[in-house]
Amino acid sequence: MAGGDGDRARAPKRHKSSAPSRSIDETAELDYTDDVDDDVRDADREVKKRDFTKLELKPDHANRPLWACADGRIFLETFSPLYKQAYDFLIAIAEPVCRPESMHEYNLTPHSLYAAVSVGLETSTIISVMSKLSKTKLPREIIDFIHASTANYGKVKLVLKKNRYFVESPFPEVLKTLLKDDIICRARISPEDSVGAPSFTISKTAGEMASGHEDLLDGMELAAATEDKETHSFEIDPSQVENVKQRCLPNALNFPMLEEYDFRNDTVNPDLEMELKPQARPRPYQEKSLSKMFGNGRARSGIIVLPCGAGKSLVGVSAACRIKKSCLCLATNAVSVDQWAFQFKLWSTIKDEHISRFTSDNKEKFRGMAGVVVTTYNMVAFGGKRSEDSEKIIEEIRNREWGLLLMDEVHVVPAHMFRKVISITKSHCKLGLTATLVREDERITDLNFLIGPKLYEANWLDLVKGGFIANVQCAEVWCPMTKEFFAEYLKKENSKKKQVLYAMNPNKFRACEFLIRFHEQQRGDKIIVFADNLFALTSYAMKLRKPMIYGSTSHVERTRILHQFKNSSDVNTIFLSKVGDNSIDIPEANVIIQISSHAGSRRQEAQRLGRILRAKGKHQDRMAGGKEEYNAFFYSLVSTDTQEMYYSTKRQQFLIDQGYSFKVITSLPPPEELPNLKYYTLNDQLELLAQSLSARDDMIGIEHLEEDSDGKALMKARRSAGSMSAFSGSGGMVYMEYSTGKGKAGASKKPKDPSKRHYLFKKRYQ
Amino acid sequence: MVNAIKGLFISCDVPMAQFIVNLNASMPASDKFILHMLDPTHMFVQPHVADMIRSKISEFRDQNSYEKPS
Repeated sequence: MAGGDGDRARAPKRHKSSAPSRSIDETAELDYTDDVDDDVRDADREVKKRDFTKLELKPDHANRPLWACADGRIFLETFSPLYKQAYDFLIAIAEPVCRPESMHEYNLTPHSLYAAVSVGLETSTIISVMSKLSKTKLPREIIDFIHASTANYGKVKLVLKKNRYFVESPFPEVLKTLLKDDIICRARISPEDSVGAPSFTISKTAGEMASGHEDLLDGMELAAATEDKETHSFEIDPSQVENVKQRCLPNALNFPMLEEYDFRNDTVNPDLEMELKPQARPRPYQEKSLSKMFGNGRARSGIIVLPCGAGKSLVGVSAACRIKKSCLCLATNAVSVDQWAFQFKLWSTIKDEHISRFTSDNKEKFRGMAGVVVTTYNMVAFGGKRSEDSEKIIEEIRNREWGLLLMDEVHVVPAHMFRKVISITKSHCKLGLTATLVREDERITDLNFLIGPKLYEANWLDLVKGGFIANVQCAEVWCPMTKEFFAEYLKKENSKKKQVLYAMNPNKFRACEFLIRFHEQQRGDKIIVFADNLFALTSYAMKLRKPMIYGSTSHVERTRILHQFKNSSDVNTIFLSKVGDNSIDIPEANVIIQISSHAGSRRQEAQRLGRILRAKGKHQDRMAGGKEEYNAFFYSLVSTDTQEMYYSTKRQQFLIDQGYSFKVITSLPPPEELPNLKYYTLNDQLELLAQSLSARDDMIGIEHLEEDSDGKALMKARRSAGSMSAFSGSGGMVYMEYSTGKGKAGASKKPKDPSKRHYLFKKRYQ
Repeated sequence: MVNAIKGLFISCDVPMAQFIVNLNASMPASDKFILHMLDPTHMFVQPHVADMIRSKISEFRDQNSYEKPS
């Protein structure tokens, strides 16, 4: 375990095959085999050392920021004066693997190059800029790889113009190749006058240059790149679009299509009157992400990745304001639907009657020809019978042609639901927003084809330095298991209860109590405590007398607790189960204590950190050297010598790759505080142990929400299997001595000191 | 009359002591190796088990530590 910390702090130097494990890559099977022969490779670690001596250093290498290796890995020195330009370029062409403070690692993959081409970079530009930035002569392999990967990407575009689909390309020979295909040929709508000869419509479009790279190119190249280009196109049957797109995928003709929406020339769909309000000033990185989307005056489909709290909603609203057409905005649950509707009203001049919400308990009709509709994925994808009202609205959604389909938190939605949503709604342009483009099931690849390539990804540490998101101190608190708990933990018959045992470890409880007390009293912070384990959640919350929210807490009670937490100075700590991971917006909180978590989910860890990333306080205080360099705290309490250590390290990987480092704290709570905390005596601890061991089976596991992180699941009645005794209320722990009422529960069991008794009652007992 | 037993003195932290106790308990009666439990962090065991305990502990620790796949 002692070694684990050192490993984490170190910038990883890894073998190439390790890199794709997190990045967008379709080589899932490949990864798998890599894992299998892990042992083999460990054995000959010596062989892994690569020889780079034959790379030629350029004479002025000190001024150049990149190291490019033949295997596609690129290292960027962040202290170089060219860092900013180089970063913008690299993020467009490569996949970030790990971004600690001074050295970033990137990986060139076919997908990342596809994304590069789709934002308007050309093969020659990629190679020339890269060779300018590289300290060494670009290895032959890299140049070949770039050529091979970009040869066909981006050559063909699918453009919706005046509601007609055109296949467009600057290369007529490519179009001819496509037309040789049976399906595409049949889908083509030929203009009546020119039968026979395969003539294409030729039009001129202003040549595009992705902004920001000009300064890296010579004047001549620049001139060449901005020349007008001729494009050739043919029209295809709208009903065949899906088939044509499929034929163009890499496994068939291998000319993946880019989708663009020429919204300025769209005269069919009515315009929506909305502008950004003057006080909405997009930050530099928000501008940049938008410029990637609207690079050539058209709207591209794709995904924008920004950390939580960095203002994803402003990007979404700005995009809608530029397109100025009907917009369908999809969120994950009812609470975030309200938040999106609010954001639209906050940032744009949209009239109230043009925005409508559509959730299970809030069905607002649309008015007018164009408008913004905010709803959840589930509402759209729902397959069962609907009420009459919602049937009408869904019909409306289906029939309408949407200018922009705005999708929030794209990483949480399963691929099949996406397919359904995308097939139901006809949209010209799709924009996905997310903070964490990782999935434990590695299904991120699907998003590439369903939505589009990743357009932009911000660097977390740069945003922290700029003061745009909070500077978080991450800490892992090591709590040793007590003797009795560890003895039970080791017993074979308790294998199912391990989770409860390490979550209920009295040392952990006391560390948690100490941290809450410290932050509440010394700093006046607002604290969220996360626990996935229901038993731990309820026990901690009751013992410490703090409000809690979990899956079956009613909507009314939730709103009340959150309101109190936001506004009252008496409620400074709340306990949340995993319902709080996504989208419950609690901007006030700045401390997170995590007492139990869902196995090794990197995404959950990042989402939880995101709850406190929204910057607070004055801007200058937050800058390095300011009054409050750290103003947010993320504690992860871990019972040492248990499985939790394994999961905890795994969970942190995503944040570590973003450049965060975890400080390990071993001496919490401090010894002089010990007697003031709960579970000080052995008897108390043993009682807790007995309670933990007798916890009912449905309490000890991780809470299962029926439809993960969806508002609907949280509100409707739930059906679950259980024993008769559990239903009748005679399940084990009911006889224990605490009431189920929250807050007042766990009240003192000792008889009260008569001197403290209220005077009215004093008489009675005299 | 003084009785002398040859053995091994182990000093470790509380959880590891519990791990060894648990290991001892899982053995058949003939293989039990703990001679004396001196206090929660010290024990006296039979001299030949050192390697076995070491390997069991390192196995246990490996299970609990995550190494980034490389």
